[in-house]
Amino acid sequence: MSHSNSSVHRVQQGVSTLQRREFLRRGAALSAAGVAAPWALSLAAMGEAAAATTVNDYKALVCVFLYGANDHNNTVVPFDAATHATYTSIRASLATPRDQLLALNPRTALPSSSQMGLAPQLTGLKSLFDAGRMGVVLNVGPLVVPTTLAQYYAKSVPLPPKLFSHNDQQSIWQSSLAEGSTSGWGGRLGDLFLANNATSTFTCMNVSGNAVFMSGQQAVQYQVSSTGAVKLSATTGNSFGSPAVSQALQTLTQATSNHWMEAEHARIMKRAVQAEAQLSAGLAAAPTLTTAFNSANPLATQLQMVARTIAARNALGTKRQVFFVSLGGFDLHDNLLTQHPGLLTNVSEAISSFYAATVELGVASQVTTFTASDFGRTLTSNGDGSDHGWGSHHFVLGGAVAGQQFYGKLPSMAVNGPDDVGQGRLLPTTSVDQLGAALATWFGVPVSDLPTVFPNVGNFDLGTLPLFQ
Amino acid sequence: MQSKGFEAWLNEQMAMPRGQSHWDWMVANGYAVSTNLFNFSGVDNTIWRKLMSSPDVLRQRVAFALSEIFVISMDGLPVSWRGMVAANYLDILEAHAFGNYRQLLEAVTLSVGMGVYLNMRGNQKADGKGREPDENYAREVMQLLTIGLHKLNPDGSVQTVNGAPVDSYTQDDIRGLARVFTGWDYDRPSASVPDHAARPMAFSASRHSPEAKSFLGVNLPAGTDGVGELGIALDTLANHPNVGPFIGRQLIQRLVSSNPSLAYVSRVAAAFANNGQGVRGDLTAVVRAVLMDVEARTPSTQPGSGKLREPILRLVQWARTFNASSPLGQWNVGNTSSASTRLGQSPLRSPSVFNFFRPGYVPPGTPLGSAGLVAPEFQITNESTVVGYANWMRTVIGNGVGEVKADYTPWLPLAGDAPALFDALNSLLAAGQLGAVSRATVTAAVASMPVSTEVNRINRICATVWLIMCSPEYLAQK
Repeated sequence: MSHSNSSVHRVQQGVSTLQRREFLRRGAALSAAGVAAPWALSLAAMGEAAAATTVNDYKALVCVFLYGANDHNNTVVPFDAATHATYTSIRASLATPRDQLLALNPRTALPSSSQMGLAPQLTGLKSLFDAGRMGVVLNVGPLVVPTTLAQYYAKSVPLPPKLFSHNDQQSIWQSSLAEGSTSGWGGRLGDLFLANNATSTFTCMNVSGNAVFMSGQQAVQYQVSSTGAVKLSATTGNSFGSPAVSQALQTLTQATSNHWMEAEHARIMKRAVQAEAQLSAGLAAAPTLTTAFNSANPLATQLQMVARTIAARNALGTKRQVFFVSLGGFDLHDNLLTQHPGLLTNVSEAISSFYAATVELGVASQVTTFTASDFGRTLTSNGDGSDHGWGSHHFVLGGAVAGQQFYGKLPSMAVNGPDDVGQGRLLPTTSVDQLGAALATWFGVPVSDLPTVFPNVGNFDLGTLPLFQ
Repeated sequence: MQSKGFEAWLNEQMAMPRGQSHWDWMVANGYAVSTNLFNFSGVDNTIWRKLMSSPDVLRQRVAFALSEIFVISMDGLPVSWRGMVAANYLDILEAHAFGNYRQLLEAVTLSVGMGVYLNMRGNQKADGKGREPDENYAREVMQLLTIGLHKLNPDGSVQTVNGAPVDSYTQDDIRGLARVFTGWDYDRPSASVPDHAARPMAFSASRHSPEAKSFLGVNLPAGTDGVGELGIALDTLANHPNVGPFIGRQLIQRLVSSNPSLAYVSRVAAAFANNGQGVRGDLTAVVRAVLMDVEARTPSTQPGSGKLREPILRLVQWARTFNASSPLGQWNVGNTSSASTRLGQSPLRSPSVFNFFRPGYVPPGTPLGSAGLVAPEFQITNESTVVGYANWMRTVIGNGVGEVKADYTPWLPLAGDAPALFDALNSLLAAGQLGAVSRATVTAAVASMPVSTEVNRINRICATVWLIMCSPEYLAQK
């Protein structure tokens, strides 16, 4: 089908003249504009409300979720001799030898002559740290309010519910609420910028399995495979020799219903068909990426799709996008030494390729990537693995990041120490809300709007993570 | 008549003998060989064989439901003879599907499959130098297999104190149970034969924690016999008042509907507590209670009723309805995990111990969420899977999958009459739940298709089946 940059341009110019008011569900609105003319989508026709902020530049936030709870102690590892010796004495057979670590030299030294290193597999991330493109956020995790060890044991302050439970903590990292939550902060970021995108569908894109992170109050997760949107074969050609059957399939599968499950399934199919047509056309029109991504690395293939979508931003008319990718297998109660290295290799390689792609596209400082996970793990070993923890260390990367730096507070390397809630599990000293607020601020969210994205953010000091230049 | 007929069918199904086990089939078909030490060759085959063709269809259905609660996955069995380990695990679920929950729990706990998946195998006592027992099974057996996170009322609702839920276990309980679950390992493992994969794990006192253990109000003094301790732990878990509502509600969700009423859950929990002959945990009583309940047999017109059929069951229904056969006995449907080109799920291949979808999943931005309802199967429903399913089923319905082929000949006499064909297949596949509008759409399209040759008529049947099986009215089973 034909499209033109001028129609997209018209749409973008129209955004700023709209009034804020109640608006239709995106899916229904999309259908009202007609299947045949996705490029003529008019925001006015769909009754879109104005975003909290109108923006003129492009930015993307990319969440790399490590499912199963990454063992942070073997990811960002003590390097100074004294602390490393303590780490080895506690972790015993699980400890990574000091001479294998990639020592980090931050711009601002850690206190008390502490030094940290990265796991040996994280060579790409080490380069990014050294180049000032990556920061390390120490001991970050979900909190409702700042919490001391005494308060934790006394239960005298509200704590995140269902600590140490995988599914709930995944939900809490992504949405501030336990399992059953229906909106996440990635989606809530999307809510604020929906009207800046020519097609709101492409605001929150998930290249892995469903994640509450990607759903907002209005923003809807749009899921794609790592090779692109899946095309409904019935949209082209015959089914069982019959064009009428192909057409009937499209009609049936998108039919509205009073039954909520039927209606939701139809809504997903409708969005799938309409978005695929646009996305595929946009991807085809976009500059081809030459940066290599390892096709055997499932995280790399997802990030490659993210890069391709970013490359298509002009064709798609997108200004603000939130992406979600993930890698599983981190729940290493067992086999930590045999399985963790491969996972970390995938993480380092995939993120490095992705950063290189953003450089190739000329948007390196417009894309920020961060890692997240269910929780950290115990410092102690169970013989060949570690158990569920809480606070963890995570990475923030991008051209706008004030990298080669540690953020947050370095925890004590100890069992029964001042940060320990049992077996070396860390009580977080930086909350997910604080990390998220820093990312959201960079993304363009005014301080006054932060509570709509992070309900508990008012409980925390902001500005403690000067992650961006 | 319906009631008496259904009851008789239940009795017949529950009494039906088990067919050839997964283990025996793997051996008989040459899969139990050392070249398959580190792969799962044959496992998908035997799974689809039984799901699609085994006469004890109810047992298969219940065993499959159990595999989504007592989850292990081929994704997490990095051991030798892993295919036989998986086969044996499924045999255990099948063996206990109409047995007793306490025996099922013990068989699962001591299975090599679960032992490897959640790390009880080889779990050792603390060494006094920082190594502590692995807590994985202790945590997940409570969170997922027995009592759940919160204390429940008999109707499945969460108990509250001052408006807040009450935890059913603490980290201390986990630590205590983790000590109990030490000292177990393969029983006489071998690299040359897989036999240990079928034996319950064996106990070794030297690796077992001699410490005192406290969990869920039970205090075991130091030095208590380890095998006895395991029995006490499993008794404690199985006798917990949460189990009936916790497991019962999930069985309703797997077999009937996503949002059973509190009263429905109560009735099923009551059957768990007492099968009518004073026995607790009788799964035949529980399954009967789930399937025969008035709420299971009364169609609802509520907008959030029923459940979204999971893709695996849609494929199995196609196979059963159309008498699918596998001429060489291979049942080579394969791994159907791909979201974009298959079903987005495959038996015994869930991404984690949390199954393909959570019992409490709420699809965002829907009236379901606003109404406080859940729809677990929507967790694996997205733009890739809905299209992938429609695309793949077109191929499967038309050509079969692997060597598995359907038999559409019984419908040939109706193929010339599109409305009659539709009515028959709507009734069989969707309990007649496709309405007049869909009927008009389907029949108009099918009536426009040629009809003179047998190939023409088979195409008409395939088209009708495909259109029905892609319709939202079919997909949401009410």
